[in-house]
Amino acid sequence: MLKGILKNILNKKPVIPFLGGVKIPPEEAVKIADLHKKIDSVFSRSLRIRQVDAGSCNACEWECTALTNPVYDIQRFGIDFVASPRHADVLLVTGPVSRQMEFAIKKTYLATPEPRLIVACGDCAVDGGIYKGSYAVTNGVSNVIPVDFYIQGCPPNPTQIILGIKELIEHLKAKV
Amino acid sequence: MEEIINKAVKTKGLFNELYIEVRKDDFKEACIYLYEKKRAILRLMFATDEREIDAAFKIYTVFSVPGTDKFYIIVLPLKDDLIFPSITPIIPAAHWYEREIRDMFGLTPKGHPDLRRLVLHDSFPCNSFPLRKDWSISEPELKEWGKGLVQKEPYNFMKVEGEGIYEIPVGPVHAGIIEPGHFRFSAVGETIFFLEPRLFYTHKGTEKHFESMSFFNGVKLAERISGTSSFSHSAAYCMAVERMTGIEITEKAKAVRTLLLELERLYNHIGDIGNMCAGTGLAVGYAGGAVIKEKLMQLNERLTGSRYLRGMNEIGGVHKDIFIQADDILKTINEVTKEYKDFMKLLLGTVSHIERLENTGKLSKDIAVKLGVTGVAARASGINDDIRKAHLHLLYDKLDFEAHTMARGDVFARMMVRAEEAECSISMINALLENRYKGELVAGIKEIPPCSSALGYTETPRGSVFYWVMSDKNGRPLRVKLRSPSYCNWPSVPFAVHGNIVPDFPLCNKSFNLSYSGCDM
Repeated sequence: MLKGILKNILNKKPVIPFLGGVKIPPEEAVKIADLHKKIDSVFSRSLRIRQVDAGSCNACEWECTALTNPVYDIQRFGIDFVASPRHADVLLVTGPVSRQMEFAIKKTYLATPEPRLIVACGDCAVDGGIYKGSYAVTNGVSNVIPVDFYIQGCPPNPTQIILGIKELIEHLKAKV
Repeated sequence: MEEIINKAVKTKGLFNELYIEVRKDDFKEACIYLYEKKRAILRLMFATDEREIDAAFKIYTVFSVPGTDKFYIIVLPLKDDLIFPSITPIIPAAHWYEREIRDMFGLTPKGHPDLRRLVLHDSFPCNSFPLRKDWSISEPELKEWGKGLVQKEPYNFMKVEGEGIYEIPVGPVHAGIIEPGHFRFSAVGETIFFLEPRLFYTHKGTEKHFESMSFFNGVKLAERISGTSSFSHSAAYCMAVERMTGIEITEKAKAVRTLLLELERLYNHIGDIGNMCAGTGLAVGYAGGAVIKEKLMQLNERLTGSRYLRGMNEIGGVHKDIFIQADDILKTINEVTKEYKDFMKLLLGTVSHIERLENTGKLSKDIAVKLGVTGVAARASGINDDIRKAHLHLLYDKLDFEAHTMARGDVFARMMVRAEEAECSISMINALLENRYKGELVAGIKEIPPCSSALGYTETPRGSVFYWVMSDKNGRPLRVKLRSPSYCNWPSVPFAVHGNIVPDFPLCNKSFNLSYSGCDM
């Protein structure tokens, strides 16, 4: 590990490889390394995400938390989770949006400064998932606030979330 | 016990469940007898709408007497008069159950000291009870509920008045990556004088949703009630349906379930101990715990294809024999055990961390007993209650383990109980892997019998979880009641934080590590 870091510093390579133990296919690893450059150019090395739970079962939250652990260490890409929507570029919403959270989600959305990107993360957030059709949910984030991007999975694992964010940025770059 | 049984209208036994139907006048007396004379624990309390079958709503109160495997279920039918005597004044553990019954069924507990709404928030229409069979709601009413602007039944927070007292409202959207809930602190300076949590923001109508799907599809929903207890929830649900149907699962399926339950406990406990470090600002401990947890979650993924052990359970057994990957499990567990021991050494050797934990967030045994607290929180306050021991199921009768208790009831005790249980889980996993188990993965599935019911239970990493299922005339779900451990433990948090400083609240909260989604259903 230390050798790897030293090598990267000497070669001025910014990306630190994943810690031992994580097995991801090489093509995906290349994609993830690519993410770093994209964030550098589009967001000037700083992408701030505000995660909001809109009634999820808590599995999606733990996968987001796992992104900040030493294994995935998302901060190395210049991405971080922030405490307030006022500091955020991206609002990452999980859960099917329960009726009793609808109002709070709208308020959080309005508190996020423009230009803002909304990501619906997890199957529940996409279309209600297993809870689709229940009286107490709104069947997905897009029924409450406009959504820019979807990440599927129940829950999407940390690698899928990173790849999702990368794809989001690619879309954005195509638009710019 | 005979006194109650003699007075009963009728009794019915099934496995270790004894249903005792009583008259309204005897209901309170029967519950109090069990609670006071037999020192019984109130496990859950719920209502059903059986108007189609018996022309009555029914209230079920499930008790279990320590030292015996039996569940005593007092049943009270309500035919015309929709008022039942409240048992909360004598059994405080019933206070949330009774409020929930009022919200969801419109049955009023007479004599309950706090009749505010619990599950449904202010803008939900009045006189509308979601769990009744003939309930419906119009589109405009749903919209109004979501907008939350019209207060149809206002919720009044308890007010603390006096010199120097001020209120701090927090939530429902919190600063961290956590679930939503509202907390209202009444503080004197930095000290918390009173805390009132307002939960149920993540109420998803789960119990009603169960009724709309078949018993077999319900397993998927049970897995998604509380993310980190996915396996325990589905195991308890499957157990309930299997008992109702009369399916006896094979030894192999039992072994797989037991092993996965312990793997779930292990990753949760180690993750929780690490998370407590985030509450004290010990970054190295937080990171260390997260790395070990990640290793275990990757093991979960290799074994089951899901980091949260989803998709393994089905009615009648399990999908996959994970014992063929025994080598992988052993190798990972050995590695993790070594790292975990170093990790605990680091934590226990860090004085600044331990000092923050000691004497913080004390929950007394007396209050824990009264509120029916379960799981780690109960054992850390000196209550020797573990469903794995109290009501033996799966392969727990063949495994050698103890319910670890500590008397002091503070954050430190909750950490140490978790630490001891994690070690215990490791030895149980090793013991399970030593043997060979016979049988098919899935037992032959029978048809669901009409109008029958059964309990299912297990110990999640947070505490006991209960499912009670009942089928209707066509063998479809008439009622699925679930009671997660967080539902019992949330009311105890205000007592634990009383007298602590506001900055210690996240630490106290993390030491309980309660699920909002599991509680809100």
